[in-house]
Amino acid sequence: MQHVAAATPAAAGTHHEEHAGFWRTYVFSLDHKVIGIQYMMTALLFLFLGFTLMMLMRWQIAYPTKGIPGEWFALLPAVIGVAALAVGVYSKRRLTLLVGLLFGGIAWLVWWMVSDEVLFPEGIMLPELYNSFGAMHGTIMIFLGVVPLAVGGFGNYVVPLQVGAPDMAFPKLNMMSYWSYFVGGLVMLTSFFVPGGAANSGWTSYPPLADIATTGQTVWLFGMVFLITSSLLGSVNFIVTIVQLRAKGLTFMRLPFFVWAQFVTSFLLLLAFPPLEGAAILQLMDRLAGTSFFLPSGLVISGQVLDVAGGGSPLLWQHLFWFLAHPEVYVLILPAMGIVAEIIANNTRKPLWGYRSLVYASIFLGFMSFIVWAHHMFMTGMGTVISTFFQTTTMIISIPSVIILSALIISLWGGSIRYTVPMLFAIAFLPMFGIGGLTGLPLGLAPTDIHLHDTYYVIGHFHYVVAPGTIFALFAGIYYWYPKVTGRMMNETLGKIHFWGSLVCMNGIFFPMLIQGLAGVSRRLYDGGAQYAHAQNVLQWNEVMSISAWALALFQIPFILNFFWSMKKGRQVESDNPWGATTLEWQTPTPPPHGNFTSIPEVYRGPYEYSVPDAAKDYTPQNVP
Amino acid sequence: MLDFLGLPPDASAHGADIDNMIGVVHWLMFALFIGWGIFFTYVLIRFRRTRHQKADYQGAKTHASTYLEIAVAVFEGILIIGFAVPLWAQRVNEFPEDKDAIVVRVVAEQFAWNVHYPGADGFFGATDVNLVSADNPIGLDRSDPDGKDDIVTINQLVVPVGKPVIVRLTSKDVIHSFSIPLLRVKQDVIPGQVIPVWFEPIETTEHIRVAMTKTYSLINPGVNLMTMMTMQDYVDKDSVVIVPAGSILFPDVVEQLVASGYTEVRAAPETPMEIACAQLCGLGHYRMRGFVSVKTPEAYEAWLAEEALYLQ
Amino acid sequence: MRKLFRAVCLTIICVGMVTAGDVTGKVSFSGTAPEMPRLRMDADRFCRAAHKTPVTSEEVVVNKNGTLKNVLVYIKGSVGKHSAPKEKALFDQQGCMYIPHVLGVQTGQPVEIRNSDNTLHNVHTLSEKNPAFNAGQPIKGHKLTKTFDKVETFKVKCDVHSWMGAYIGVFDHPYFAVTDDNGSFTLKNVPAGEYTLEAWHEKYGTKTIKITVPAAGKATAEFRYPN
Repeated sequence: MQHVAAATPAAAGTHHEEHAGFWRTYVFSLDHKVIGIQYMMTALLFLFLGFTLMMLMRWQIAYPTKGIPGEWFALLPAVIGVAALAVGVYSKRRLTLLVGLLFGGIAWLVWWMVSDEVLFPEGIMLPELYNSFGAMHGTIMIFLGVVPLAVGGFGNYVVPLQVGAPDMAFPKLNMMSYWSYFVGGLVMLTSFFVPGGAANSGWTSYPPLADIATTGQTVWLFGMVFLITSSLLGSVNFIVTIVQLRAKGLTFMRLPFFVWAQFVTSFLLLLAFPPLEGAAILQLMDRLAGTSFFLPSGLVISGQVLDVAGGGSPLLWQHLFWFLAHPEVYVLILPAMGIVAEIIANNTRKPLWGYRSLVYASIFLGFMSFIVWAHHMFMTGMGTVISTFFQTTTMIISIPSVIILSALIISLWGGSIRYTVPMLFAIAFLPMFGIGGLTGLPLGLAPTDIHLHDTYYVIGHFHYVVAPGTIFALFAGIYYWYPKVTGRMMNETLGKIHFWGSLVCMNGIFFPMLIQGLAGVSRRLYDGGAQYAHAQNVLQWNEVMSISAWALALFQIPFILNFFWSMKKGRQVESDNPWGATTLEWQTPTPPPHGNFTSIPEVYRGPYEYSVPDAAKDYTPQNVP
Repeated sequence: MLDFLGLPPDASAHGADIDNMIGVVHWLMFALFIGWGIFFTYVLIRFRRTRHQKADYQGAKTHASTYLEIAVAVFEGILIIGFAVPLWAQRVNEFPEDKDAIVVRVVAEQFAWNVHYPGADGFFGATDVNLVSADNPIGLDRSDPDGKDDIVTINQLVVPVGKPVIVRLTSKDVIHSFSIPLLRVKQDVIPGQVIPVWFEPIETTEHIRVAMTKTYSLINPGVNLMTMMTMQDYVDKDSVVIVPAGSILFPDVVEQLVASGYTEVRAAPETPMEIACAQLCGLGHYRMRGFVSVKTPEAYEAWLAEEALYLQ
Repeated sequence: MRKLFRAVCLTIICVGMVTAGDVTGKVSFSGTAPEMPRLRMDADRFCRAAHKTPVTSEEVVVNKNGTLKNVLVYIKGSVGKHSAPKEKALFDQQGCMYIPHVLGVQTGQPVEIRNSDNTLHNVHTLSEKNPAFNAGQPIKGHKLTKTFDKVETFKVKCDVHSWMGAYIGVFDHPYFAVTDDNGSFTLKNVPAGEYTLEAWHEKYGTKTIKITVPAAGKATAEFRYPN
């Protein structure tokens, strides 16, 4: 990253960095772009780790009585690591060497985990380890992978640029947010090494199970406190940045939809996380201080009467947890919708259809997401009145989702669609998120939930939302903004292999889950349901899903290669605006210098002025008078 | 539609309503998805860059989406008012009278379902956590007059066909979920609370089992044969029965059949109706499996009498 | 140096052998044996199928000769220093029962916990001095090796099969035994000296006898249960 002296008067506290040393520039940086990249790289690594845990679990589900061939699971990161090391040594690139070491480390970790007799006696994954991997897969994917990538990564990098700001409003808070996340991640990782292993009570950590679980649960709770703190710091920063630092002329209704999505997301994080932070502290007290917030009286654990005061309520935790975790779903999906909207407008070369309805729908979505949480709890003994309320709010919240999805699909009409790699991922997001949303309907209605609650149908449903939904959008964002960050394009062919392979494999993993769920197979089963008579007809899908999951891993190789290779060897962009885009982040030098803009931007029009009749070009940037 | 969705067989009186609703919701889902899908595919093809060089600034000038959204909202309203609320009310409010039903307590623990019958007197004996032991998993006080004739089984829920059953659910330790897929019953079991759930079985287990009989390959069955039992006698070449009907297909039994030259077996789930734990409850969650046995009223009475004998 | 050390050790052992004797005896049972409840294994179809004849609880097993089985007999307190034996003690789960029902091991001695059943067992130790663990053994033939470092007698149970219970006694010396089908026990090569011999039964508790092991020869003892 070259350093150009910021020509604009940067926000207080940032411009002293021009001559900062290596550490202040790349590690403890206050620059939103560096922090965004730090977030992105860390989150991508965590996504890879979370996925590895799942690949190991999928072996257990498909072949419950066979030992795990650990060498095979270590092979993929090992090959990537060795290749990167070789290239690094040959070309004397420090970054490539670092990447090689990193993947070598992951390979070693996987190999060690599998061959170690403590974790896998006789190569068998034990039920407690399976539960622990399940809990950590969820935790890592959501709190350490997708949210940091979508909000911390893309939000940090793109939002200040799109609003025409020199940086985030509070750069130090921003750095603190990243390092709090980093510490939270480290704490979560160490939990694998405490006696009894990492948390094993599910990512939902329902007490009393979580209250009586092994030490890993305590570490998990500490980790969550750091992660929540990180999100709170970040969300305050986004809100202030978007409200206060918009460029002249950039009214709210001229904001790119991505900024709107991040704006709503920040409010969700700010308002929903504190109850969970409180709940996490209460659970810590239950575990460490002998309180019984979540423990009723008279519990008998494994034949022994539990020696606590009692009088607590396990349901209290569920309410506090889902009061966060339902808005959290929209934290996962809104930034993804924002990314998709940007890319669709750019690649159809026309304005988004119904921009205002998109904005109002996402605000409404954010508001409604606070009053639907108990639809996760229909089966906890809910009466008619409360269940009617939550079913109604759940059906209402589907309407803004339908509006957003419809607006994005209709936006394609009349366009001149370029099938670039980011566009492929963005349009695949639409039907995939569609399946995810539609399968939410029978789960949001209490009577149908009787059959489907806690079955694989639920797993299929939310994975369709998050995996081929959000994660596809995140891939789209990476391919789309990569040239802005590096000044080089990613390779199209590798990108297309990555896209088509991922699309097929994602559906190979998640569609059979819906089939198994309708047959009534419970989730979180260590042997994939092999014990149950009602699961026998759909048992053979387990192997299909597992093979799809491993194939999905293979199809990430082109992406990883592409990602690193293109940094040095990718085709250089001819201009600062290679996609011919209208929003402000493309009206800066590439990569944007410290302070972002060479002159103070002023905005004269809406965000998606593509193919304006009688204009010279098929795009008119926001800052063109 | 229901066959297409692959729902398990239904053996309860209210199950058809739930299945029906699942069917209706899925019709809506398919209609929306296919409608959207056709439009989506058409747009992607028609407006590709090579065919449509110049994008249209205005885009679609339609209000169709507004009508679609209103239609979806109306449909969802109908689903709630017409299906969801009445059906849920029937499940949680319209319990049969105790005297018209079989009432049992189910006490869940890691990793078993303890079933507590009130016995001949119809009253449940008192329980106390301090009495819990290996022989007395629910801590039943046998010195209580009501508790003398109580019957306690582990993982065995035996009920007669054609009579409502009320199950009062409690847990000794953590949260479990009492799920019987074939009876369309599911209810979380929360420690510290007693939550009732009810159903009326309309098919006997035996009947369901016969209906589920299939031929399975012994070499590559695609199912876990250990959950299956033979539905006919298998003989060796001297016509001596080696594996009688009703044998569970444990690996040694399968070996025996294969050694006698069999490659296929007529089998059905040994316990087609099962209680599955649907809420993660610890390392044994995946096999916290109970068995529901729906018997004819006579067989049920006979079973109760036999259980009463064990008490003496 | 190492050779010298070995030689010294060997000498000490040899001297010990010379001045050591066996402690033998039996545990008798008076009165009528209490009737043990029949174990109902309906909860798990595998367990039910594993037994052709009814199985009763092993809490009190009175042998035909009027002696008591499954009594742990041991010398109370420490008796010199002993390194842990290399050979594994076997703790098996067969037919949803623990074999043996009472197991004595030395501190640091590897204990192989084996699942010989086609069903899930979880080995849940209710130990207080040794770290308690709860390990699942999902498949037949699965083995788990554990060691215990603190002297303690504790219960082991299976949460999946509530009737399954067993006891493991951990000692820092090799002078312990569990009574067999004849109700007898033998503690081999006990160094000469005065000891407190203790017997422990899961239902009837502990009893002690003072014994003297002569420099050469044997010592005998008889415990009487229930009173």
